Amino acid sequence: MDWFPLWNSLRVAAISTVIIFLLGILFAWKIAKLPKVIKATIDVILTLPLVLPPTVVGYFLLKSLSPNSVLGGFLLETFEVRIIMQWYAAIFSSVIVAFPLMYRTARGAFESFDPDLRSAGQTLGLSNIKIFWIIVMPTCKQGIIAGTVLAFARALGEYGATSMVAGYTPKQTATISTTVYQLWRIGDDALALRWVLINLAISAVFLIIINTVEKRTKQTTVQQSQVFTNAIR
Amino acid sequence: MKLKHIFLIFFCLTLAACQSSTITTEVSPGDLVDDQSVSEEQVDLYVFAAASMTETMTEIAELYKAQNPNVNVIFTFDSSGTLKTQIQEGAVADIFISAAQKQMNQLEVGNEANTEGLDFVKSETRINLVENKVVLVVPARNPAGVSVFADMTKEDVKKIALGNQDVPVGQYSEELLKNLGIWEEIQPKITFGSNVKEVTTWVSSGSVDCGIVYSTDAFSAGLEVVDTATNELIKTPIIYPAAVLKTSSHPEIALDFLSFLHSDEAKTILQKVGFAIP
Repeated sequence: MDWFPLWNSLRVAAISTVIIFLLGILFAWKIAKLPKVIKATIDVILTLPLVLPPTVVGYFLLKSLSPNSVLGGFLLETFEVRIIMQWYAAIFSSVIVAFPLMYRTARGAFESFDPDLRSAGQTLGLSNIKIFWIIVMPTCKQGIIAGTVLAFARALGEYGATSMVAGYTPKQTATISTTVYQLWRIGDDALALRWVLINLAISAVFLIIINTVEKRTKQTTVQQSQVFTNAIR
Repeated sequence: MKLKHIFLIFFCLTLAACQSSTITTEVSPGDLVDDQSVSEEQVDLYVFAAASMTETMTEIAELYKAQNPNVNVIFTFDSSGTLKTQIQEGAVADIFISAAQKQMNQLEVGNEANTEGLDFVKSETRINLVENKVVLVVPARNPAGVSVFADMTKEDVKKIALGNQDVPVGQYSEELLKNLGIWEEIQPKITFGSNVKEVTTWVSSGSVDCGIVYSTDAFSAGLEVVDTATNELIKTPIIYPAAVLKTSSHPEIALDFLSFLHSDEAKTILQKVGFAIP
């Protein structure tokens, strides 16, 4: 059996999640501090991919990245790199559709972060970056982890936009979702079912792991203060 | 405004949206004068046609509607393989027009290709509607410099778009490439589309270096044709059969529409994009 779709789906989802994690917390942290009107506008733009049908996202991606577009044409002529119809095109589509999940969850976590802890860190002479990584992040751990998990799950299950920008080439760009679709179209029900079950199994295992991690990271207020005290020593 | 008022409005809007019926075309001024309609009540005729017939069928149906204002022709255009499956699963359809004999054969009782014992085709109404040709098309400016089918093996050609094995044009392509002896070699470069229009779009947008579609699709999409398949390369005749289905609720009207597809007006429209009349 050709196991490529499994490897490809996992690698696309993993890379996308790393990108989403970094971009998500960056945007969430910076935007949480902006004035209300600007915050609301940027918020709408960044959350849009969540409510748009993936085919709409795929359409925009195709128009912006295909060799006929400005960006796509430039990349093709200068670096001879074609970014659609390749396996890494799926990273673009997965990042865009899953980003809002990380962003919203992280923003919620940052907004409920107690600003006094930050002020206290500042009075003790810690730099902003240190405050962020050793005080804010551990305190908001639950929200961050939840966001990352959601983003990974969404990236793993991406179909619409992915099939439009990566196409379907067995052993090159096929993901689990596009493979199941193609197998159904050509009537290979047995193989399609096998992939469906594999996908279910991965998702189930994944959620079990996450639930276990979440239970362990549930912090009480006492523990939060502990984290803070330890951090500034 | 109270929250429950907002809820109520959204609920009504959702209900309204769910009520939207299937597309009904507008009645044109011509029908007040000409009255060749077969019956008086408003009839919906469901035609499942191969994707490559999209533009021509739509135009022909408009002509038919002008002469028969009480008949609404509602199309579903997709790959013939998908349509055959949908018919088999019980989709409502009066007429089936396939891009290959294979799919029609699979639905006709007594046919050797029919391995599932299906009986959907009214055999006495089956006709060969049009003939088509399979061609190699390239995007604007032909970046990979493709000039014949065999060029697909060149280094410069990195991505090829074909229909998958459920799609007639995909089946024709496979036959053609196997006869050329390059089918296995080019496998890593192929991206498979689920109908001929998807393949056409990939070529038009420059996402691939070349693709195999019908000459009619190339014409409709304004794509440059670099090579045409001969009868040596594709021995299966590329003929589109059409028939009324046994599940039709309006068999006489369906037969009338089918006969209209033979008329001189219909033939002009079909030949304009490159279909040949067998």
